[in-house]
Amino acid sequence: MGIKRLKMPEYSFGDKVKWHAAAVGTAFKEAFFPHTVTVHYPKERRKFPDNFRGYILFDIEKCINCWQCAFVCPANAIRMKEAPNKKYYPTIDYAKCIFCHFCVDSCVGGALRTTKIHDVAYADVNEMLAETEQLMEPPEIVREDRRYVEYVIEEDDVRLRRVKGQDYLLVEPPPRKEYSMVCVCDDPESCTGCGTCADVCEHYAISISIEGEYKVIRIDTARCTGCGLCVKECPLRVLRLVRREGEQ
Amino acid sequence: MKMLGQILELASSNRVEIPLIEPLLGMLPPPLSELAALPLWKPLFAALVVPGFATLGLLLLLLPWIERKLCARIQWRVGPKEIVSWLGGIIQLLADSLRFLFQEVIVSRDSHRPYFTQFVLLSFIPALLPMLFVAAGTIIAIRTEYSVQIMLALVCLFPVFILGMGWSSGNRFAFVGTVREAFMYFAYEVPLILSVIAMLLVFGTGDPVAIGESGRLGIVLNPLAALVFFIATAMGTSRLPFEIPEADQELAFGPFIEYSGITFGLAYVLAYEKLYVLSALFTTLFLGGGSGPMIAPLGELSGALWFVLKVIVVMVVFAALRAIYPRFRLDQALKAGWSSILAISLLAIIISSVEVVMWA
Amino acid sequence: MAAVSEWRVKLVGRPKDVSCPSVVKTQVIDTGLCCRCMACMAACPAAVRTGVGFDFEERKHVCVDCEICVRVCPRLDYKPLSGIGSYIKAVAGRSKRFKGQDGAMVTEILMSAMEMGIIDRCIFVGRDEDWRTEILHVRDVEQLEVPTLTGTKYTFAAAVPALREAVLNTKVGVGFVGTPCMVSGVRRLQKELAVFRRKVKLVIGLFCTENFYWDELTEFLKERGVDIKKLVKTDITKGKFIATMTDDVVEFPVKELSAIMPSGCRVCTDFSAVESDVSVGSVGSKPGFSTVLVREENAKEVLDFIREHGYADFDEVSLEFVERLCNLKKKREANIK
Repeated sequence: MGIKRLKMPEYSFGDKVKWHAAAVGTAFKEAFFPHTVTVHYPKERRKFPDNFRGYILFDIEKCINCWQCAFVCPANAIRMKEAPNKKYYPTIDYAKCIFCHFCVDSCVGGALRTTKIHDVAYADVNEMLAETEQLMEPPEIVREDRRYVEYVIEEDDVRLRRVKGQDYLLVEPPPRKEYSMVCVCDDPESCTGCGTCADVCEHYAISISIEGEYKVIRIDTARCTGCGLCVKECPLRVLRLVRREGEQ
Repeated sequence: MKMLGQILELASSNRVEIPLIEPLLGMLPPPLSELAALPLWKPLFAALVVPGFATLGLLLLLLPWIERKLCARIQWRVGPKEIVSWLGGIIQLLADSLRFLFQEVIVSRDSHRPYFTQFVLLSFIPALLPMLFVAAGTIIAIRTEYSVQIMLALVCLFPVFILGMGWSSGNRFAFVGTVREAFMYFAYEVPLILSVIAMLLVFGTGDPVAIGESGRLGIVLNPLAALVFFIATAMGTSRLPFEIPEADQELAFGPFIEYSGITFGLAYVLAYEKLYVLSALFTTLFLGGGSGPMIAPLGELSGALWFVLKVIVVMVVFAALRAIYPRFRLDQALKAGWSSILAISLLAIIISSVEVVMWA
Repeated sequence: MAAVSEWRVKLVGRPKDVSCPSVVKTQVIDTGLCCRCMACMAACPAAVRTGVGFDFEERKHVCVDCEICVRVCPRLDYKPLSGIGSYIKAVAGRSKRFKGQDGAMVTEILMSAMEMGIIDRCIFVGRDEDWRTEILHVRDVEQLEVPTLTGTKYTFAAAVPALREAVLNTKVGVGFVGTPCMVSGVRRLQKELAVFRRKVKLVIGLFCTENFYWDELTEFLKERGVDIKKLVKTDITKGKFIATMTDDVVEFPVKELSAIMPSGCRVCTDFSAVESDVSVGSVGSKPGFSTVLVREENAKEVLDFIREHGYADFDEVSLEFVERLCNLKKKREANIK
């Protein structure tokens, strides 16, 4: 076994001179025509795309209390707090939040949405726990910027382009494709007629009536919201949710 | 009273002539005009204004800023800009110095207290003494034939003080930096001296005023000597690519690591002072000292102005090196110093001798 | 199945102010006809939601009036079945793979059916160390390494309610083994609820004279000197009850057990489980072999599979012993009032 001694590759004198000249030449060029990529925050702000992962805002109308945001948060930053109306709403601890936006992705009702705000300052760590009311309004930020900066990428070069004006920070969430589901009975011959479905339906969409020798069970598809509670509670699992007809 | 008269007489004999302010002095009645003209006595003027304290101070305030801004520009950054934004942060160094003044000077328990505190101040000896021998145009404090040699000798004292500062710190990183400084000193000393000898051979004298007035550009006469001097200066003042004793990423400021507060400020500017001295030497030997088109109203100051401009150019070139080259390894630097650069300096001496013989 | 938003369930037709639990209680339980098959528990939605047990008095409070208990009870409108029943093939078998009460043919048939892919799970009755019955959903042969799973227990087990659980979770099919009354209950369930029709793919009936309540049987055996904790096997054969322990054997005539015979068994006339797909028992074959009466096509396919793969040895049966016991049990018709 031999130990191979590595030798430095040999370069010719001419090559070395050329490379020295190239280095000094680049320095010269950059000294006079620099490609500076600094963004002078806070006088300038960098323009972020609309799906930038910034401060999270909450829309209480859309929340359905499913707790998915609290379950999925990898940093345990979301805690659900009880509101006076007995429902639970999220509070976000921004000291722990890593702005991964798993909660925004997993929000069933689309209540959590993102903004382009990334620079909220706090005087105290305890202030960083944003209660539900705080999350519903955008935070107070001082806009010192008069310009915003865009990166213009051309082939293998990147330039900065400075545009006068202020970039907007609040973003409308994209329209959600929501499907309407409706409950149907898949297996009427296994139905015992126990009426559990009618009991649990919160929208009074299922009705049971006795007509002659028969107990008739009806689902009012107009009232049915597709919540799936009856499907879950039916003891013999005869009910199923299907997509409503005629909707894209 | 007689002594005062003698002093005034001495001063008026060796005065810097500046046509611009002559009328101002004329307005004052004697003996007030004599007193006002006291600073214009050449040695005092040289020591205090050009190329002494005032210029040095201005350059110390200006040059780190230029270096930081220039390197930033080359590196696609901006550099310091917040202190006075519309001026581009030009008084950054002033703000830094003020901060150093108010910071606590911590003397570590492991350090040798007397040397630790005294060497910082003593290191100004080899930094400021050469100022007396530099000629800014015709403004010079002590004019002798041996100016250049004396300056060189004083410059060679520098590393002693740096070693003293590093060793007395009692910190192992300072120790590593000090040892590296000693190695570097070993590497660049001989080529530096040889290149200066080469130039002295060509000029025939060590008098900077005479060299300046001879009208011959050293860089044209002996470019190899210029190259060697340039590289040796880079080695000596810890400029990249030879920033080995300091090596921010490895040693966090090398021999000066233990200094804080105003001592840090003084240690920081030490390198720039050494650079100033060596740049002054470079300008004198190779760029013609204070020669340049005469600006009439300034009189002798015009030569000084050209001198200062050339020194600034040289120093800026050294500053820009930081953004261009990566760092040499210690053994690579030593090897270069004792093989290629030594060879070039010997070659420079041969060329000088040939030139002397040719134009004898 | 078509998905509908409106459907109907036929009403049973009972007096207006009488609740279903009352109907069952008065007509079946109080009359002593109830065989403890637990088909009513399998179908009752209140049992699922509230966890109420077999107590019909308690059941009245949570009853939702769905009438399913009335519809599935095999002892309501009791038409007793008897005789050896129809069969395609009668053979004696001894499994080469498993050890059971006699020839372990129940285990063999169920495991082979799983291998064939007809079913993906089956209901087994195991026991704890006190010989209380426990239900296990077996989905893999490896689960049979528990030795207490095979072998007759001679006490009631809630296998039919467990069948409901299995039917709702299975994707392929479920196999069931039970006494003739349990088989009748399952057949009623299949008649009334389509999901049982679809998902219960194989029903094995056991030859049965009677079953016992656990507490009464263990009390009885203790009096005879049997240590339940050491009990390994229980067997009724040739008119004798044989209790085998780890270090001893206790025998006594079966007639003595009639003191603790449950009332539901006293009125039962079905010895050979005439409604099953295949009936298995020890009567009519040599010791170590089980009698197998193949009644339906699906069971025949399983037996053919077993024969093809050589999983069991086969032998002759003597059906006259089976017929004799059938006739003996038929006499219990007189007990029905």
